[in-house]
Amino acid sequence: MTHSLHRIGDRRFMDEDFVWLAYQAKGINDDDFPRKAREVLEAAEEAGCTNWGDVKAGCVLDLDPAQIKAGLGQTSRIRGVFTSRQQVVSFLRLLREKDVGLSLVVSGLLDEVLAACDEAGVKPHTINFSLGVWGRKELLPSPQVLAITTMCGHHMIASRLVEKTIEDVRRGKVKPAAAARRLARMCPCGIFNHERAARLLEAFAAEAEAPQPAAGTGAGAD
Amino acid sequence: MVTVNDHCNGCGVCVPYCPVGALSVDAGRKRAVVDGSLCTDCYVCIRHACARKALEPGPLPEFIDVFRHLLSDPTETMAETGVPGRGTEESKTNDVTGRVRRGEFGLCIDMGRPGIGVRLRDVDRVSRAVVAAGLRLEPPQVSPLGMVVEDPETGRLRQDVLDQHLLSIIIEGKAPLDRLEPVLQALREVESRVDTVFSVGLVMRADEGLSPRLREVLDRLGIPYPFRAKVNVGLGRPLAEG
Repeated sequence: MTHSLHRIGDRRFMDEDFVWLAYQAKGINDDDFPRKAREVLEAAEEAGCTNWGDVKAGCVLDLDPAQIKAGLGQTSRIRGVFTSRQQVVSFLRLLREKDVGLSLVVSGLLDEVLAACDEAGVKPHTINFSLGVWGRKELLPSPQVLAITTMCGHHMIASRLVEKTIEDVRRGKVKPAAAARRLARMCPCGIFNHERAARLLEAFAAEAEAPQPAAGTGAGAD
Repeated sequence: MVTVNDHCNGCGVCVPYCPVGALSVDAGRKRAVVDGSLCTDCYVCIRHACARKALEPGPLPEFIDVFRHLLSDPTETMAETGVPGRGTEESKTNDVTGRVRRGEFGLCIDMGRPGIGVRLRDVDRVSRAVVAAGLRLEPPQVSPLGMVVEDPETGRLRQDVLDQHLLSIIIEGKAPLDRLEPVLQALREVESRVDTVFSVGLVMRADEGLSPRLREVLDRLGIPYPFRAKVNVGLGRPLAEG
């Protein structure tokens, strides 16, 4: 799955957007996974993670965190999002100390993630580089819409819903923060960065009066 | 495909929620309509779009119907891979599986994303192109695509499933590093022959990452250097060597 890798479109605030995933490998280190997962989640919360989830249950913007932790099972997948490099560094340091043994992945701007690893004293093992979007890019929505939709890598958040949300914010029907949390609840993994989304929605709504790039140009979708 | 029950009053609230635009409203009948040729059974509309509970799962009678649903709904788990949704483990557990070793690269071609959707006919086209250039596809135990691959030696998919529409599916494979340029070149050539988009992830061991050799390949093919990445930070145990 590459659902946290290809965050594209409008790049604003992308340096405030780091996804983490903690994975068990079937038959290798998946024994006692719920306990290990809870240790990782405690570290994430201590480091300041404000959205995380288990895809089998949902995210903390939709459910009680204690309920998600209590429901963790062998096939659960835990993931979340940080909004600063310093949070990532703290998280990595905590996990290095705990030595839980699960694989840990951090997605984000390459330079930022590598710098965080260096600062935390962890040595990257493998890197999945995004080579961008190929094919009929003229089918894509605007970079503004892509910036929001690609924060849920499974595309549970539709382009048309984002367009409608931007318009609702512009018309004052909903505040950016509330709109962002509403969208975030549709991403069960908990990797939707609702804080970045709120800032983007506010900016896009403010710009909506100005001429927009033509839909389908896919500009910036690299 | 998703079905509409008699609770529907044709309000249209559900329409923008569909990731692939399969929902509309029949104004005459005052009822939502699902386009069965587009619906991927992702169930976003069922979970989020209708307070009246007017949308519900339809029957999934054949293997391919279940396959389409599992690939499109990340809350489901594929029994063969043990990974939820369409996912694969690619780089994420490579520190303990050692699947992609030094001297190799992995490739994840995420067909249909971001947010456009894909027919398996286009997946077949791309799969055959990259396999012919040297990519070895991952087996069904690792990659859901393997369940509809008819011939791993050619990348050919089962011909009876080609019209199926999915939210996305990943073509995943690996090869020795000397095949990287031919594989990416094949991808360049086939991209104009598909009716969708795809996102490409290149998996490398960290210490072989953005080497001068890789930069030369990207330069020759006109591929911009990557600025985003997913980094396996090497905390998994037991650590895989090699």
